Amino acid sequence: MRHLASYILTRILLAIPMVFIMLTIVFVVLRVMPGDPVNAMLGAHAPQRVIDQKKEELGLNKPIMVQYVEYLGKLVRLDLGDSMIFKQKVSQPIIEKLPATIELTLFGLLVSLGIGIPLGAAAARRRRSGGDFGIRLYANVVYCIPVFWMGLLLQLFFGVWLGWFPVSGRTSPRMEASVFSKTGFYIVDTLRIGNLAAFGDVMWHLVLPSITLGVVLSGIFVRLTRANMLDVLKSDYILAARARGIPERRVVYNHGLRNALIPIVTMLGLQFSLLLAGAILTESTFSWPGMGRLLLERIYLRDYPTIQGVIVVYTLVVSAMSLLVDLLYAAIDPRVKY
Amino acid sequence: MKRLLAILFVLGLALSVSSLGAQSTLVYGTTDKVTDMDPASAYDFHTWEIFQNVSAGLMAYTPGTTNLVPALATGYTVNAKGDEYTFKLRKGVKFSNGTPFNAAVVKWNIDRVAKLNGDPAALVTQYVKSVDVVDDYTVKFVLTGPLSYLPALVATPTYFPMDPSVFPVDKIVKDVGELKGGEIVALGPYRLTSFKRDEEAVFEANPNYWGKEPGIKKIIIRYFADATTMRLALEKGEIDLAFKSMNPSDVNDLMKSSKYNAVKIPGPQIRYLCFETSESVFKDKKLRQAVAALINRPEINQKVYLGQNAPLYSMIPMGMSYHTDDWKTVGDGNIAAAENILKGLGYTKDKPLTFDLWYTPSHYGDPEVNMAEVLKAQLEKTPLVRTTIKSAEWATYKQQWNNKQMPVFFLGWYPDYIDPDDYTSPFAQTEGSKGNGIFFSSKAWDDMFIMEQQTTKDSVRNSTFAKMQKMWTDEAMTVPIYQGNLYIFSKKNVTGVKIGPTLIFNYDQLKLK
Repeated sequence: MRHLASYILTRILLAIPMVFIMLTIVFVVLRVMPGDPVNAMLGAHAPQRVIDQKKEELGLNKPIMVQYVEYLGKLVRLDLGDSMIFKQKVSQPIIEKLPATIELTLFGLLVSLGIGIPLGAAAARRRRSGGDFGIRLYANVVYCIPVFWMGLLLQLFFGVWLGWFPVSGRTSPRMEASVFSKTGFYIVDTLRIGNLAAFGDVMWHLVLPSITLGVVLSGIFVRLTRANMLDVLKSDYILAARARGIPERRVVYNHGLRNALIPIVTMLGLQFSLLLAGAILTESTFSWPGMGRLLLERIYLRDYPTIQGVIVVYTLVVSAMSLLVDLLYAAIDPRVKY
Repeated sequence: MKRLLAILFVLGLALSVSSLGAQSTLVYGTTDKVTDMDPASAYDFHTWEIFQNVSAGLMAYTPGTTNLVPALATGYTVNAKGDEYTFKLRKGVKFSNGTPFNAAVVKWNIDRVAKLNGDPAALVTQYVKSVDVVDDYTVKFVLTGPLSYLPALVATPTYFPMDPSVFPVDKIVKDVGELKGGEIVALGPYRLTSFKRDEEAVFEANPNYWGKEPGIKKIIIRYFADATTMRLALEKGEIDLAFKSMNPSDVNDLMKSSKYNAVKIPGPQIRYLCFETSESVFKDKKLRQAVAALINRPEINQKVYLGQNAPLYSMIPMGMSYHTDDWKTVGDGNIAAAENILKGLGYTKDKPLTFDLWYTPSHYGDPEVNMAEVLKAQLEKTPLVRTTIKSAEWATYKQQWNNKQMPVFFLGWYPDYIDPDDYTSPFAQTEGSKGNGIFFSSKAWDDMFIMEQQTTKDSVRNSTFAKMQKMWTDEAMTVPIYQGNLYIFSKKNVTGVKIGPTLIFNYDQLKLK
């Protein structure tokens, strides 16, 4: 247990330089990019005096190194700063939008794994069959499809033509999310107050965005599961299991799949950042009010502190996911001890 | 499997329950955004639209028109010099929380806007020296000089009265949560009862409203990230009405559909081509005239906007007082006139006039790049002109026009106040022109602006603007291209959509059949 605690602590400490490097890159890139936030913010006919005053107010007239040190100083005190465009703390929109992105990403991940792992295992079990070919074709095709295009197709087909699912937002407008929203996690909020109608509505709204996000990434998991399963199915213990007369289905899914999962779990941590990136486009396509949409809008406005704040949070989420995945090893592989 | 079916049944039941009572509410979709929930800081059409529905001004436009009529005021008088306006206020008016409205409230709000010095503060400080309370229901505006269009200014949300006990005197409010009681308390037909940024805004009828009761008790705005999703949501029935901004192809498709009511609004937005007139090759007005002659407005409107906008032949939009079509005398795609000027200046096929044509890809929407390409083709119909298209995102674009880096560039204009002055002085008066990257400066023009701004005589303004529009075709510091039409699409059961050139969308006029 003591080893586990020390491992977790080490990983957390390692995340600090990662955040620092990310932040430095973002800080420099934003300031090197053409486009002045004050020009973007003020009206078309703002006089130079007002522009200079605004720059002074925002600290943009100071040397970049001074701005950087000041920013890091605030960050150490867990202060992400104030938005340049909207007169609010950067943490405020992040706290509001993060739950929406987490809900979408987790469901996207579930769809991705729910499709990718069984299909990959089935393809490995029936290697070189028509089914295997079909599944591999699916994996390649969905991986190549741009997320927003997939989203538009699903919206048109299942939303508009068939009318089965909503095409935008986290809830129906008439549901008035503000009435039940407390934590920002609508699934939790609706269940907490026992509002089944709202819960159903929230789940219904999650279907198309989650599928859009999940299907595209499921291609990776299909290929990964298939490749690992093929290796595992050649192992001696699989041969031994078959020799003992254990049914093939049990050999493949109980004995083979569990061992093939270890590298998949590793990839899960790595793919999570891809999911977050995919969520940016999915959020735009489905008007999903999450961090991705926030990031895109603030990039257009050159709202440096908010962009930096969102990147910090993304980095922390990816680090936390990576740590979680490492800890999962112990549960999956008894040989791993901390 | 049985368990899955049971879950689906419960969800289906839940969803059907959720749609009950939908008819008393209208859902309106938009791609617009709310900025600051404070009239002292908000300076954009959508946030102003919200204030126009939760609050009111001393003067207001009759819905769907440019006619100014008294609203919170019952009328006004102006002194002979034109620098003092006295408004008589409506009696018995109460804020949505029951607080009485009076002259002190008007003064408090305008003083607050000036003191906080937010983005629209210049709409007050540039013109108003002081606001004096004459008595409980009389307020006097002492101006910095004679001004003809103060009644139009007081119809802008920057001048709207808010409850002083709710808004902080020393701080701009970003979100409604920062207000005492968590709600905007004002004098409009609706109360904004809930607001989630980029998600939704909920309006309910104000029980203390002094005017006619709104046709629909509850309006919900749903905010969309893009126009395509908004169109799909309208088709899916998730929203009852969609407004600002649709893609041209979506507008065309929806216009053909019999499922929706379509309202075309001659918008106050104009688009035009700007020349940097101080340092670039276009400091020679003859070159500006040559380029202007080559522009073919109907072709741009047809090819880029599928005929949805209106070719514009003056910087003052159609439908506004003093508009004249002077640019029609120059013509569209007048290659002969352009070649005549260019040859006279020594340009030949081997030594053509070359310059960069700039546009900004996102700020004015997706069709912008197409407009640049179509214009390039029009300009190059003569071998005497060769252009290179260049683009920059909005923040960079603005920086570049300040730095005189763009010789020719597209811009668009939404007015601050509905008056011809706001469509002309920002481009041709020395200070305004500089702010828009044109850098045109002429004492004669500045004098004309001072005259039209200070006089309250309609005949003087009429002749001044007529002269200006004629002279504009000669100076050609900017060239009007089109006046944007806006489209509202709604379900067949929605009526009462009235939006005039002011672009003010009064929700209280809406009805559900």
